[in-house]
Amino acid sequence: MTDAEIQQKLTAIFRSVLDKDSIELTATTTAKDIEGWDSLTHVDLIVAVEKGFKVSFTTKEVMALQSVGDLMRLIASRCK
Amino acid sequence: MLKNDRSELDYAQLVKKARSLRPGNGYRLKMALLANVSTQHLTPLLKALFAGNGVDLEVYEGGFDAIELEAYNAESGLYRFQPQVVVILQSVMKLKAAFYDDNGDRGSFGKTQADKAEAVWKAIQARLHVPVIQSTYVLPPERVFGNYGLKVADTLQGAVSEVNRELALRARAIPSVFMNDIDCIAGWVGRRHFLDEKLWAIAKSFCALEFLPEVAQSIVDIAMACIGRAVKCVVLDLDGTLWGGVVGEDGLEGIGLGDLDPGGAYRHFQLFLRELSLRGIILAVCSKNNEATAREVFQKHTEMVLKEEHIAVFVANWEDKAANIKGIREKLNIGFDSMVFLDDNPFERNLVRQMIPGIIVPELPEDPGLYVRALAELNLFETASHSGLDAQRNRFYQDQQKREAEQKQYANIEEYLCSLQTVADFRRFEPGNISRVAQLIQRSNQFNLTTRRHSEADCEAMMADDQQFHPFAIKIQDRYGDFGLINVVILKLHPAEGRVEIDTFIMSCRVLQRGVEQFAMNKIFEFAKRGNYKSVAGCYIPTAKNAMVKDFYAQFGFVRDENPRGEETWWRLDAGRYVPRKVFIREAGLAGAD
Repeated sequence: MTDAEIQQKLTAIFRSVLDKDSIELTATTTAKDIEGWDSLTHVDLIVAVEKGFKVSFTTKEVMALQSVGDLMRLIASRCK
Repeated sequence: MLKNDRSELDYAQLVKKARSLRPGNGYRLKMALLANVSTQHLTPLLKALFAGNGVDLEVYEGGFDAIELEAYNAESGLYRFQPQVVVILQSVMKLKAAFYDDNGDRGSFGKTQADKAEAVWKAIQARLHVPVIQSTYVLPPERVFGNYGLKVADTLQGAVSEVNRELALRARAIPSVFMNDIDCIAGWVGRRHFLDEKLWAIAKSFCALEFLPEVAQSIVDIAMACIGRAVKCVVLDLDGTLWGGVVGEDGLEGIGLGDLDPGGAYRHFQLFLRELSLRGIILAVCSKNNEATAREVFQKHTEMVLKEEHIAVFVANWEDKAANIKGIREKLNIGFDSMVFLDDNPFERNLVRQMIPGIIVPELPEDPGLYVRALAELNLFETASHSGLDAQRNRFYQDQQKREAEQKQYANIEEYLCSLQTVADFRRFEPGNISRVAQLIQRSNQFNLTTRRHSEADCEAMMADDQQFHPFAIKIQDRYGDFGLINVVILKLHPAEGRVEIDTFIMSCRVLQRGVEQFAMNKIFEFAKRGNYKSVAGCYIPTAKNAMVKDFYAQFGFVRDENPRGEETWWRLDAGRYVPRKVFIREAGLAGAD
């Protein structure tokens, strides 16, 4: 999967989970930039990403995530 | 919509639905969640599922892992919120930690943990007379001995099973404590998928998100039963549903039962239905058949598990099923939303679904061997009470049909009522009748003036308090049979104002038009006069189902209060002005009776 493909798919997942079609993701996007991305929906997002990309993260990896860029790198490392 | 449609238990869909919910005008329910897990993910699911049942849910989420703090502190948010139901949700992850930390006797771990839970229930119910719903624990995966662990005392697995067992035993002794069997849910979806250690670590999630809707649905099922929404009757098709083939064509010996029922599928299904009947679900038959042909199977086929005695109403003719089911409903005097219709024929299922809104019509699989499983999955028969009389419910209705047949022979109603030789047993609430009293309070919808769903704990409190309450119940029998306890009246006393208030007046619809309500009203005024009360007051609170009693007070000469308070109407009658009604009921235990 290319980075662009990952970004596109990730955007679709965020839009679906947060129920907002206007969401645009970049590598530097963080929770603060997106309305509705809070500790509650963060869990929903992680579960949806794991399901959507058919990957599984470790607890440590999930806890270390700081931005969308981190998440995209994590996905890329699993979807080679 | 089909009750408890499991295909709608999708986490993402329910979250979306919860987001778009607008405050409705359904039944309002206040629920408190006390948990040692995070409840934020559960709340929207509960709201969405309750909304599907016409209930607007308001939730109080207690502090994280503060169950005991909330319960023991009289000033806590729990008590300020005044919930109508309290849900306690506890994770096995926490229980495991307690087991490993415990330096005490592991042999008593189960009892100690259950004692703690029981103390919390009692603390809550000392301040709130409301149902408490306690979770069980899912069995954790670790087994340090492997299978050998079953032979060893004091393992973790053994301890968790023991806690579950001890919780259930304690809950049996307290009618208003209900068990939410999480281990059963986890077992059904697969224990290895149910717990999610990662989500526990990052968010203290109770389980994998995809199974959280199952947990929510279980809470909804229990709470709905607590507010009186329960299935009371199953209407059964015959050909293809209770046996294979068509009796009108294949003949008595040719239908698929016994040797002609490979695997015994229909027999297994009938055993399940008989079990439902014994637990108080009314069974009715609605079949396209000649009645004699259909009945002959029940009377003569040796492999039939269900007999005519299990069937309260038997309808077999060639009219359309929707019309027949309406007839059955009238005989039983229950709501369509408390009826389930089972038919192997999709055409009949769709017809009934379209013609009768509210009735529950589950899809049945093509293979009759899967009927029981399909119904089990829907958990249609949740209840909030159980009494010894349940097993006799079908017989009550059969007795009733004998009465109706005989009624036609009498010239007038008085003569008929006399012929019944009805005897009433009138008494204050007492330990021996309190569970049936509470059950009637939960189940009755139509002949119910105020629909106040007092819990069994409330009833016990009123039983003990003769300064403020005079709560009584009436049992009836006649020469055809025993109706059991069918009338509940709760009088609230206001001695300073010389007034008796009818807080609750409920009658089972099985005994309409026999003078029971007149008998009870005579008793109310006898009590008022004996206590030198000046007047009796009562109110009628309209619901979707109790229109039959809207003129109840007018009929006894009560005068309506001119100042309406919302939807309710208030009524009052001076004790001296009441004219005792003539009834054809003798009181048990009085001289001359029996």
